[in-house]
Amino acid sequence: VTPDAKRRRAIGQILLLVAGLVVLTIISAGSVHLVNRARQDARWVLHTVEVENQLSFAQLQLHRAESAQRGYLSTLLPNFQTDFEDAASQLTPSLQRLSQLVSDNPVQRRLLDELLPLLNQRMDEFRHIIELARMRRIDDATRVVREGIGRDAMKQIDDVAGRMRAEEDRLFVERTTNADRSQSLAASMTWVGSGFVVVLAGISILLIRRSARARDDAEALLRDANLNLEATIDERTADLREANDEIQRFAYIVSHDLRSPLVNIMGFTSELEQLRDDIFKRIATLGRASPSPAAAGAAMAEPVLEEEDKQLAQDFSEALEFIKSSIAKMDRLISAILNLTREGRREFEPVRIDTRELIQGIVTTVAHQAAEAKAQIRVEPLPHIVSDRLALEQIFSNLIDNALKYLKPGVPGDISVRGRTKLGFAIFEVADNGRGIDPKDHQRIFELFRRAGAQDRPGQGIGLAHVRAMVRRLGGTMSVSSELHCGSTFTITLPINWAGSTGNRIA
Amino acid sequence: MNQPVTIIMIEDDEGHARLIERNIRRSGVNNDIVPFTNGTAAVNYLFGKDGTGFDHKGRALLILLDLNLPDMTGIDILRRVKENRYLKTAPVVVLTTTDDSHEIKRCYDLGCNVYITKPVNYDSFANAIRQLGLFFSVIQVPPAAT
Repeated sequence: VTPDAKRRRAIGQILLLVAGLVVLTIISAGSVHLVNRARQDARWVLHTVEVENQLSFAQLQLHRAESAQRGYLSTLLPNFQTDFEDAASQLTPSLQRLSQLVSDNPVQRRLLDELLPLLNQRMDEFRHIIELARMRRIDDATRVVREGIGRDAMKQIDDVAGRMRAEEDRLFVERTTNADRSQSLAASMTWVGSGFVVVLAGISILLIRRSARARDDAEALLRDANLNLEATIDERTADLREANDEIQRFAYIVSHDLRSPLVNIMGFTSELEQLRDDIFKRIATLGRASPSPAAAGAAMAEPVLEEEDKQLAQDFSEALEFIKSSIAKMDRLISAILNLTREGRREFEPVRIDTRELIQGIVTTVAHQAAEAKAQIRVEPLPHIVSDRLALEQIFSNLIDNALKYLKPGVPGDISVRGRTKLGFAIFEVADNGRGIDPKDHQRIFELFRRAGAQDRPGQGIGLAHVRAMVRRLGGTMSVSSELHCGSTFTITLPINWAGSTGNRIA
Repeated sequence: MNQPVTIIMIEDDEGHARLIERNIRRSGVNNDIVPFTNGTAAVNYLFGKDGTGFDHKGRALLILLDLNLPDMTGIDILRRVKENRYLKTAPVVVLTTTDDSHEIKRCYDLGCNVYITKPVNYDSFANAIRQLGLFFSVIQVPPAAT
C-alpha cells in the first residue's frame, strides 16, 4: 500500500462524510422549508373557506334582515323589529371581517367595494320601510316594497356574491393544488435524500471494509517483517559472533606463529653471543701470540683485547643487546595479545558481588606498592552489583595499579574509590591526585599498545584497552576526566543486574 | 638400557630443531636423533608402509613432538602413536609453543608423557632442553611391544 493511495483513501472518506452531511443538511432544510410552505398553503385554503363562510354568513344576515322587515311590515310585531336589529348588528362585523380577509386580493376587494354600497343601500331601504311601518304608514311602506327597487338590488348582491364565491372557489382549487404540490415535493425530497444517504453509507461501508482489509494485510506484513527482522538479527548476531571467534582464533594463531620464529631469533642470538665470546677469546690469544706465555695464560681467564678489538667487541655486544631487548619486547606484546584473546574467550558468569569487599581485597594485595609510593587508598561504601567477579577484579586492580603507578613524584598519593547508583546502573569512580592525562590523550590511552605522558614506567599499553573491553562486555561504559598535573578520575558505569548471556561472547 | 634409544624429533621449524639438537648434545646425550620437518614423513617412518608400525617392533623410541606442523596437527600423531600396539609404550615429549591449558590437558588425556612449552627466553629454552637431555640419559624406555 503506497502512501499516496492511503492519502487518497483518507481524503475519499472525508469527502464522503462531508457529502453525507451536506445531503442531510439539504434534506433537513428542504423539508423544513417545504413543510412550512405546505402549512402556509393549508392556511390559505382555510382562508378561502373562511372568506366563503363570511360571505355566506353576511348573505344569511341580509336575508334574515329582509325576512324580519317583511314580517314586521305584515304583523307589526316588535319581535320582528328586534330580529332585524339583531341581523343588522351581526352583518356589520361580518362585513368588517370579510373586508379584512380579502384585503390581500385586489379582485375580491373590488367586488367587495361593489357589494358594500349595495348592501348598505339595501339595509337602508329595509330600515326605511320598518320606520314607515312603525309610524303606521303601511301604504307608503308597501309601495316602496312594490316598487321592486329592492329586488334588483338583491339580485345584484347575489350576483356579486356569486362572483366572489367563484373567485374564492378558483383560489381554493389553486391553493389546494399548491398545498398538494408542496407536500409531494417534500415527500419526494425526503425519498431522494434518503436514497442519497443510503448510497453514501454504502460507499462508506465499502471503503471502510476495503481499508480494514488493507490494514489487516499491513498487519500481516508487519508481523512477517518483525519475524524477518528477528531472524535477521539472529543471523547478524551469529555472524558477529562468528567474526569475533574468527578474530580470536586469528589473533591466537598469529601470536603463536609469531612466537615460533621468535624462539629461533632469540636462540640463535644467544648462540651468536656464545660465538662472540669464543671469537674474541681467539682474537685475544692470537693478538698476544708473541708476548710472554704468562700473559697468554691470563688471557685465557680474562681475555685482554687491544683497543680496536675491544671497540669491535663492544659494538658486537651492543647489537646483540638491542636484538635481545627487542625480542623480549615483542615476546611481551605477543603474550599480551594471547592473554587478551584468552580473556575474550572466557565466558562471563554473573554473580552477586560485594564490590567494596572486592576492592578492599585488591587494596590489600597492592598495600606494599602503596606503602612504597606513600599513597593512601580510600574505599567509600559502594553498591553491590551482579556481574562477573574475575572481570571486576581485573578492571579495578588495573585502575588502582595505574593510579599507583602514575602518581606525582614527591606528592603523597591519595586514591579514592567512590560509587553510587542511577537508573539501574552503578557508577564507580577511581580518582587519584597523580600526574594526570592530557585531554588530547584521553582517547588514545584506551587503545591497544598506546600510552600517554612520560614513558618512565614499565608497561605495554594494554591495561586500559583490556579494562574497556571487559567493561563493554559487562554491558557498561567507561570514561576518563583528567587534566595534566591535576589527577585523573576514571568513571565506570555498569548495570546493577547484569544478566550475562546476551553478547557474552562478543567482546 | 639394553638397547640404545632412538630419539624421533618431529619439528617443522629447522631452527628449533637445530637448537634442540645442539642443546641435547650439550647435555651429553649421544643417542641417534632422527629429525622430521613435517607430519607426513614422520607418520610414514613411524608406522611404516603398511601403517602398522611393525617395523619398530622391539625397538626403543622416544618421540619429541611439536604440535604445530604444516600438514597435520601433532595431536593426531600423538593419538595414533598411543593407539598403536607397537608404539604406545614409547614416551612422547610434546615440545611446542602452544601454552593453551585446554591443549595441554588434551595432550595428557591422549597419553602424552611430558608437555613442555618452548620458552622464548633462550636461557630458559636451552636450560629446559638440557634438563630434558639429562632426563633422556636416565630415562628407561621399554622396547616396543612384541
